[in-house]
Amino acid sequence: MEAYLLNLGILISIYSILGVTLNFIMGYAGIYSLAHAVFFGVGAYAGTFMAMHYNASIFVTLPVAMAAGAFLSLILALPALRVRGEYFVAASLGLQVLAVTIFSEWKSVTGGIGGLIGIPPLDVAGFEVFKPSQFIFVTVGALIIILFIINRLVHSSFGRSLRAIRDSESAAAAFGKNVPLIKTISVVISSALTAVAGVLYASYLSFINVESFKLDTSVLIMAMVIIGGTGTQSGPIVGAALLLLLPSLISYMDFLPQTEIGSIQQIIYGLGMALLMIYRPGGIVGRKKQSETGKE
Amino acid sequence: MLALQLTITGLQTGALYALTAVGFSLIFGSTRIFHFAHGATFIIAAYLFYFVNVSGYGMILGAIAATAGAIIFGLLLNRFVYVPIQRDEGSFFTIFVASFGIGIVVQNVIGMVFGRGFVTVQTPLSFSVEIMEGLYVSPLAWISMLCAAISFSLLWYFLKYSQMGKALRALSDNPELVRVFGMNPRFISACAFTIGSILVVPAAIISGATSGLNPAMGHHVMLISLAATIVGGIGSVAGTLMAGLALGLAESLALLYVDSQWTEAVTFAILFLFIIVRPSGLLGRSAAH
Repeated sequence: MEAYLLNLGILISIYSILGVTLNFIMGYAGIYSLAHAVFFGVGAYAGTFMAMHYNASIFVTLPVAMAAGAFLSLILALPALRVRGEYFVAASLGLQVLAVTIFSEWKSVTGGIGGLIGIPPLDVAGFEVFKPSQFIFVTVGALIIILFIINRLVHSSFGRSLRAIRDSESAAAAFGKNVPLIKTISVVISSALTAVAGVLYASYLSFINVESFKLDTSVLIMAMVIIGGTGTQSGPIVGAALLLLLPSLISYMDFLPQTEIGSIQQIIYGLGMALLMIYRPGGIVGRKKQSETGKE
Repeated sequence: MLALQLTITGLQTGALYALTAVGFSLIFGSTRIFHFAHGATFIIAAYLFYFVNVSGYGMILGAIAATAGAIIFGLLLNRFVYVPIQRDEGSFFTIFVASFGIGIVVQNVIGMVFGRGFVTVQTPLSFSVEIMEGLYVSPLAWISMLCAAISFSLLWYFLKYSQMGKALRALSDNPELVRVFGMNPRFISACAFTIGSILVVPAAIISGATSGLNPAMGHHVMLISLAATIVGGIGSVAGTLMAGLALGLAESLALLYVDSQWTEAVTFAILFLFIIVRPSGLLGRSAAH
């Protein structure tokens, strides 16, 4: 039971990092990305590559993974600079599809569809963390640090510029804000922090394959943010906890077919997304009628 | 000869892409509803046809069931999801998320009922016939192209000459003015959903026999529809048609150079290029935002 709770706690904190970083671009900059799992994957693969071939110290794996995520996010930022809304959804969906192909084909780095096994444990300043009871401190710590960083950013003048862009791009430009630059920076920061979750995930499971970084994951993360509350501080975490607890709740309900837990979970959050949008677009944490979510 | 073979396959794929994408483009262009569940309409129609056919009721009943299913799904979604959201605020984002959620539900319900693997509609029409030395074409290729040609001629005639077609075009230009003229935008929207959903049906049915069905293919359908809509220019049905055909051709001809798992990458590359170089698309009226 304790091991089970620890495992759940670690996964919730990793997915919270993903939710919080997606919320940063979605809720504050109005960039709706369906490619968040790509940066999760890039972080995981880059970190694993460093850990397996060079050095497992987080002072090596984290910076490399973050740099890889940040660099790749420039590809995503490129269309985001020119367009928004529907165009960006299409571009990110395309990137997600493309990335899955690359993850499964670039066998020398990603191990192909079979994935990579035997990923070394996290090395924090010479101390190897592999017990779940220790690992949870690392993931929760990372979540707190990332929350702090994003909180600082959101409440700085940069964050105010972001919200200005989300609410009216032309108004922000008229106020002399460099809209493309601000958008690029926000995407780069978000992707770099997402890569951290990838490194933690890979070293926790000591096994990764492309299945974890498919469109389904991007959708799951988006659902966490939306159900929790877009553009709120705690929303993504509430959403992550809720959606990850869902499978275990379903398994307690004996009348549901146990082999279909994955499907039932997806049906519940799909319905949840639709109903929330009709009755409470701000999400669980958000206000009832939110007037400030990216109205165009 | 390989190039010719791939061109014909590409035209077949392109015709199906164009049908699907024009359905989405028509709905999005006239009502501004980001109907992401269009992919769900596709799989509903495809699986209904498959189910009726496998149960032994024949293809005609299957096609009727698929059409009815697609229309009912489109109209219900419009009535019970999009209309209530639009009443409040109807931002792009809210509608997209709701539509997306419904798409997930449909995908999983179908997966639970029919299984998550691939299923194929068995028909002798998919057997290839050698029409020239080394050139194999199945009757389905001609059927796809014929279906697309008939559907688009009807659609063109409808949009150009019928009262409702004119209203649809007017709605995409200026919804307020439509209201001023005493027409009901909500009724016109319902009409757009009906036509858009019908257009998916032939593509869904034929895909079931050519490439096979799988509950998760809605996302692929959506990627193609979005790509064709953007490449063709938002609001331009003719542009979407051309872009759909071009994407099908490009995917097929790309096989001359790359392996088949990279075909979606080709779609993505074209889409990306257009977003960066020409966001207004082939025949679009104005640039993004």
